[in-house]
Amino acid sequence: MLFSALKDDGYGAYAPDPLFLKIPPGWPKPATNIFAKNKLTEQGFQLGKKLFFDGRLSKDNETSCASCHQQFASFSTYDHDLSHGVHNSFSTRNAPALVNLAWMTSLHWDGGVNHIEVQPLAPITATNEMGEQLDSILIKLKKDTVYSRMFKAAFGDPQINSQRMLKALAQYTGSLVSSNSKYDKVKRGEASFNAYEQNGYEVFKARCTGCHKEPLFTDNSFRNNGFALNRFKDIGRQQITNNKKDSLKFKVPTLRNVQVSFPYMHDGHVFSLYQVMEHYRAGIIITQPTLDSSLKNRIPMTNKEKNDVVYFLYTLTDSSFLKDARFAPEQIVMRKYSN
Amino acid sequence: MIRLNSSIKFYSSVGLLFVAVFTMTLSSFEKAPDKNGTLRIIFINTANGKPVILRDSLYVNAFGEQYSISKLKYYISNVLIPGSGQLPENDSYHLLNAAEANNNFELSLKEGAYNAIQFLLGVDSLRNCTGAQTGGLDPTNDMFWTWNSGYVMFKLEGTSSSSAADLQRIEHHIGGYKGDNIVAKLIHLNFPATQLLQIKEGGTTQLTIELNLDNYWKNAVEIKISETPLCMSTGILAKKMASNFPGLFSVKSIQSKP
Repeated sequence: MLFSALKDDGYGAYAPDPLFLKIPPGWPKPATNIFAKNKLTEQGFQLGKKLFFDGRLSKDNETSCASCHQQFASFSTYDHDLSHGVHNSFSTRNAPALVNLAWMTSLHWDGGVNHIEVQPLAPITATNEMGEQLDSILIKLKKDTVYSRMFKAAFGDPQINSQRMLKALAQYTGSLVSSNSKYDKVKRGEASFNAYEQNGYEVFKARCTGCHKEPLFTDNSFRNNGFALNRFKDIGRQQITNNKKDSLKFKVPTLRNVQVSFPYMHDGHVFSLYQVMEHYRAGIIITQPTLDSSLKNRIPMTNKEKNDVVYFLYTLTDSSFLKDARFAPEQIVMRKYSN
Repeated sequence: MIRLNSSIKFYSSVGLLFVAVFTMTLSSFEKAPDKNGTLRIIFINTANGKPVILRDSLYVNAFGEQYSISKLKYYISNVLIPGSGQLPENDSYHLLNAAEANNNFELSLKEGAYNAIQFLLGVDSLRNCTGAQTGGLDPTNDMFWTWNSGYVMFKLEGTSSSSAADLQRIEHHIGGYKGDNIVAKLIHLNFPATQLLQIKEGGTTQLTIELNLDNYWKNAVEIKISETPLCMSTGILAKKMASNFPGLFSVKSIQSKP
């Protein structure tokens, strides 16, 4: 510390401000501490945020992480079944909401990514997403002295490498905690459900929490919820495990902010929550061998119950999270004509 | 070993172990510093008794299939010299790459005569799931699967007239760190009794280890290019191919330099 303070590299002193991931009251501890080997600091978080909104992480210098993970959509792609990659390409899966990632035991719809720090490697290098190579990104970042300054502030010296870039991104994305919805306020005794929401909550607790477990509204498992094999022949979890028993299984998504993260399912082919409810009530293909055992009889619901569950799901919208200035970019970055 | 009946017993045993290790560490500090020398480990790659030269020579495997090699990269980690009292190298994952001029690395080792070396071909499971890495494990080295997290432990690419794949490719990216899919192999090589590994204070001993690709195709199992030109994901095939790994390596020479 003393030595680095004495050695002047022109980027100022190294004095990181530690941050701590707050565990909301009543929530379980995350299965693993994602910040155990990646000390969370204000400077690391700010660097991660800048990277998250920086198009230079992509081949066309315009497609940032935030292009497909928009804050107002709970960091999913608003109103898009599939997200757009570089060169007018389409991804083959719906961009999942980035929320409460510290509590997720694996990432991606198929759970193929085992750690939050290595997740960005997939979209960055996929030709139908950001289409870029790590080496090229590092060259671009090294040209920008703002980054040298920020890497120094976050990590102690201005060296820019892939590990630091990925750790900084994880500090930002891992900090995206949504725990202030109406549901949370009711749980804390600060608000109360109306009659529809309350009825919806009762139905939800009885028929949905087997997979969408409170308070995270996912149990992190992989399940086949009875849709047909899609046009991309996406077999989901089986692609990762090579096990036929995992055919058509996908990660149970969190339902937090589900109102704004439409359309739904791994390929975004279900457009509204009412259609989702109708699928569970009447649409599930019950002949599929890997169908989740809890869905064998579909989920019987009256029309009123169906509507009330949707009212309840709306109480999971956390507007303070969706508008939190802390997660928003410092300024709009226009980069089209630079470089 | 004492059978542990309760978690309390377990933790107290672990506690004792920590105390023991701590005391050992302390006492090792009190001792005069060890007299250390350098062990330089060089990896050479051969096929048909010739050095592997990328994009140049043609080689023939045990099934008469001709092939050339364009890429040959693999991880060596957790190096241990039994009897040295040293733990496997901590935090050292060496990416050996036939495209690089220098395929060697150095260890500091206590003075003495040693009769074996042990290392892992690959990256241990733990390090496959502990987030972003640097050095040999940096994802810029193109040895990390982004869509199904984990390291490619051994990568061989080339071409062969026996390959039915596009462009007559051979593309073997062998990885897998979970449960049934683990491909990393512990390699144990003994030195001949007449030529132990001698480490002298301040000196450098050069150990050359040969990776013989002839055994890659035929050893514990048979890998025919005509049948298996491609292997690019974890699973049964990768595991089968990895069963030839232990037979790949042998001690080529040991040279002491004062």
